[in-house]
Amino acid sequence: MESTTQHWRYDDHIPSEPDCCATIVGMVLEQLEKNGWGNKDTFGIHMAMEEAVMNAIDHGNNRSPDKTVHLVIEICGDRFYSKITDQGEGFDPAKVPDPTQEENLEKDCGRGVMLIRNFVDIVLYNDKGNSLELTKQNSEAKA
Amino acid sequence: MSGFECIATEVLENATIVKFVDQRVMNPARIESLGRELLSLVDATSVTGIVLNFEGVSFFSSAAINKLIKLESESKKNGLQLRLSNLRPEVRDLFSYTNLDSLFQIKDNQIEAIESL
Repeated sequence: MESTTQHWRYDDHIPSEPDCCATIVGMVLEQLEKNGWGNKDTFGIHMAMEEAVMNAIDHGNNRSPDKTVHLVIEICGDRFYSKITDQGEGFDPAKVPDPTQEENLEKDCGRGVMLIRNFVDIVLYNDKGNSLELTKQNSEAKA
Repeated sequence: MSGFECIATEVLENATIVKFVDQRVMNPARIESLGRELLSLVDATSVTGIVLNFEGVSFFSSAAINKLIKLESESKKNGLQLRLSNLRPEVRDLFSYTNLDSLFQIKDNQIEAIESL
């Protein structure tokens, strides 16, 4: 069977500016499409990347012009991987309040962390909490 | 109503119908504008409710969801009901995963949303 996948890799630092997140997400979506990913998985990766990168920019780096976010992204036909590292103090994801609890529904925080976990297969934080790795397999990839 | 960049509005029966200009509601600056525009609708006294019609919306970030939560809260304070309608399955699932379908009243289509006000 002819392979139509192309391995794409991105490794760079981006400024802590929200517009940079949109640019990166646009690139990711383009590569997912080129590699034949379906709508459902693409939506999930879009959600996870958007939340993870914006968390790094907003909460990790406080949108400081002196700080950058290091992004590594790898996309091929059957696997998506990303490592997102900010220059902040880190956090403990286990201590983020559950946003689905009734008392937290109307609060702003915690929802992004939960959505990331929901939309990819593997989420790994480093001990400090300023870096996370996301992995997702293409659910429609033929064995 | 005019002067909005992020939403298009019209009044139908007893409701302000709101549609989103952007298919992907994710740009932080636009989301801030969206939040302000939505909150400006809360002062309307000639309607009983606001219907947010998600037709065409393929992505809705958690930051945008936070704006809807604020809108829900302010609408309640002003005696207005809020309904969401025409959500694509993946966007509808967002509200389920986050348990926000217990906070918002979500209807399949605009007609049902208006009738439920």
